[in-house]
Amino acid sequence: MSVSEDTERCTKKPRLDDKVVFRMANQLEGKAGLEQNTDPKADKKKLSSNTDKNNNVTNFLTHHVVDQSMIPRDNFHKYCYRHNPDVTCNKNTDQCKMDEIQDAMEKIPPRDREAITHVWSIFSAAPYQHRSLILRGLLSQCCFPQLSMISEEVKSLIRLDFISTLPTELSLKILCYLDCASLCNAAQVSRKWKRLADDDRVWHYMCEQHIDRKCPQCGWGLPLLAMKRARHIPDEVSKEIPHTTAIDVKDNNTNKASKNTNTNTTVSKEVAPAARKTRPWKVVYSERYKVERNWRKGVYKVRTIEGHTDGVTCMQLGYKILMTGSYDSTIKIWNLETGALIRSLGGHTRGVRTLAFDDQKLITGGLDGTIKVFNYHTGECISTYHGHNNHVVSLDFIGKTIVSGSADQTVKVWHVETRTCYTLRGHTDWVNSVKIHPKSMTCFSASDDTTIRMWDLKTNSCIKVFGGEENKGHVGQVQCVIPLNIKYEIVEDLEKDNFADETREAQDSATPETEEEKNYPTHILTSSLDTTIKLWNVKTGKCVRTQFGHIEGVWSIAADTFRIVSGAHDRTIKVWDLQSGKCMHTFGSNDSSVSCVSLGDTRFASGLENGKIKVYYFD
Amino acid sequence: MSKEKKIVIVSSDNEKFTVDRKVAEKSILIKNMLEDLLSNEDHNGDNDDDNELLRDAAAVDNNDLDVIEIPTPNVRSTVLKLIIEWCEHYKDISFPDENQDEDSKKTPPIDEWDKNFLNVDQEMLYEIILAANYLNIRPLLYSGCKMVAEMIRGKSPEEIRKTFNIVNDFSPEEEAAIRRENEWAEDR
Repeated sequence: MSVSEDTERCTKKPRLDDKVVFRMANQLEGKAGLEQNTDPKADKKKLSSNTDKNNNVTNFLTHHVVDQSMIPRDNFHKYCYRHNPDVTCNKNTDQCKMDEIQDAMEKIPPRDREAITHVWSIFSAAPYQHRSLILRGLLSQCCFPQLSMISEEVKSLIRLDFISTLPTELSLKILCYLDCASLCNAAQVSRKWKRLADDDRVWHYMCEQHIDRKCPQCGWGLPLLAMKRARHIPDEVSKEIPHTTAIDVKDNNTNKASKNTNTNTTVSKEVAPAARKTRPWKVVYSERYKVERNWRKGVYKVRTIEGHTDGVTCMQLGYKILMTGSYDSTIKIWNLETGALIRSLGGHTRGVRTLAFDDQKLITGGLDGTIKVFNYHTGECISTYHGHNNHVVSLDFIGKTIVSGSADQTVKVWHVETRTCYTLRGHTDWVNSVKIHPKSMTCFSASDDTTIRMWDLKTNSCIKVFGGEENKGHVGQVQCVIPLNIKYEIVEDLEKDNFADETREAQDSATPETEEEKNYPTHILTSSLDTTIKLWNVKTGKCVRTQFGHIEGVWSIAADTFRIVSGAHDRTIKVWDLQSGKCMHTFGSNDSSVSCVSLGDTRFASGLENGKIKVYYFD
Repeated sequence: MSKEKKIVIVSSDNEKFTVDRKVAEKSILIKNMLEDLLSNEDHNGDNDDDNELLRDAAAVDNNDLDVIEIPTPNVRSTVLKLIIEWCEHYKDISFPDENQDEDSKKTPPIDEWDKNFLNVDQEMLYEIILAANYLNIRPLLYSGCKMVAEMIRGKSPEEIRKTFNIVNDFSPEEEAAIRRENEWAEDR
């Protein structure tokens, strides 16, 4: 059964093809007949051989004609790719070839034509095995130049449209291996290709590969752009309630984006709810692609916001709003779309040095040594915490736990619920930055004493100190620290001697990770008045990369999955690639030094020493 | 069950290939078939199978106790020969679990050996992909798909058409509209 089926498959020729060959044969035979009349001598000889041949051919044909009566149902199984009438792609080129052959035939003497046609019709009628035999025989007679011609011809003939003719799931699999530019080119090839290359399954896979992560293949990653969903979410400021779960999700994604700690949920979950309703995944992808390209090429619009009467000291970007704190002792809330002032919050008696907010509350710290909690929707100050003996210059919070850093050299952990406060001692100078890493419930603090400390918030003990010459630590006051979970390979500075490298590796393998340690961030990023930005390996406690470029102290940094933004005393802002550590863009032309920066998916904001705010938009 | 059986894979054109069991089992289709078959035999089962192939194979097996014949009616002998060559090469390598592979979403570049192996004409590549799909040999299938992807990658629409002999069936207006639609991906 299987044998005859296969024979069938390759012998069966489409009508079109047969017709052409036989038409050619008839034409040529007819002409030969005409000539025979004019040249009777040659005729006789020819005629006899001709009849013989014709008989042979007829026998041959009748012998095999039975095969052709069993016409199979499924063309894809019964025909070879070339002779499948359902496949139209190659017919055009085949037709061209036929015409060429016809032309060539008309230029040669009729007798030769006749002979050649006989060869063809025999071959055309032959079943699969016979065809192979005929071809093998022909090939064995060929001279090398002829073989070369065959090899050339064959190369141009064996081309088949994989994408259109393979089973759909395989075609989609193939397309999933492509990059987005190739996919967009594939969509322009033909109707069938367009349908497959625009398929939602392919682009959903592309989104999964690229959004909020670096694609290991192409090195590109695309921003989450949760902003787009914010349109469906009640306004952050004007509406006090209800705080639905949607807001909670949103809050996790960007308000904490600068800390980059909780991005473990899958993209499909995060992007899907709003996007799937109306838009194909290709659109979702292209939208983010354009933003990412603007980031890379440095295409942006800038808005300058004025209103503070003294230096801006701290800021945080939300979806639609920006909050800034200033030495003028106010906190101001700005509309990011229009740049208009929404609300100004007072209460601190001296300059505001630090702030952090979520969807409900704003917590601030100031030179007056207090921490204040606001309901920023109403502007009401809910509570004030006293405890530090000097300025509060940094704070962060998660749930009902606030961590603050002060000029009194301590870090305090405030458990609002239980009304308890712990003091973490160890730093020997101002604590300029504190950041909570929620997943491991650890806290990082950066100090003027040039070190960074890592604290366990469950035991209130110091886990690690980052600093010192042997670890290539900072030599100036550390202004900012950000814990990061980097899941892809990053570029590290080369070790000067191999020995150090070996010892480090030895250390790495010697200490197995505890459950606790698995939750730690992989890296921390710090900035210092020594003009550098450093990336540290949390496990080894060593600085693995130092980024140079600023010519004066770096007051503030912000980072997400892809980028670092830094603001420095040299009046410039720089955007760095997190993976390579290379500076991608420098934004100068500020009339004052930059004291704080904040980073979102499509924009970043900077606060200046002279009270101005600049927002750079990349969408 | 205890003694090692000879596996004979039969192509659509009736050519027979004798292979080791672990070579044959690179094909998950054959692996499952063999497992069913041999466990049936253990229970001295009397061929109650629904699977026709299985019954065929079992029948042969009864005639000659040391040989199991497995027909692959979709695969030509020239293709089957290459597929078996691939299975021989990888017989001692176990591939990561399919589900795990999907989860990590890692698609490493095509294996150098596979790249050479699959450096065949388009017709052969086409048939290898179909056969690997039918026989359920995923690593080979994926390598084949990657080969095709590499033939598409970085090419303009016209170059793609040339590569695969495809006729442009868009009207000029449509073509212009589709080009505009896809312009965003052009420069990085």
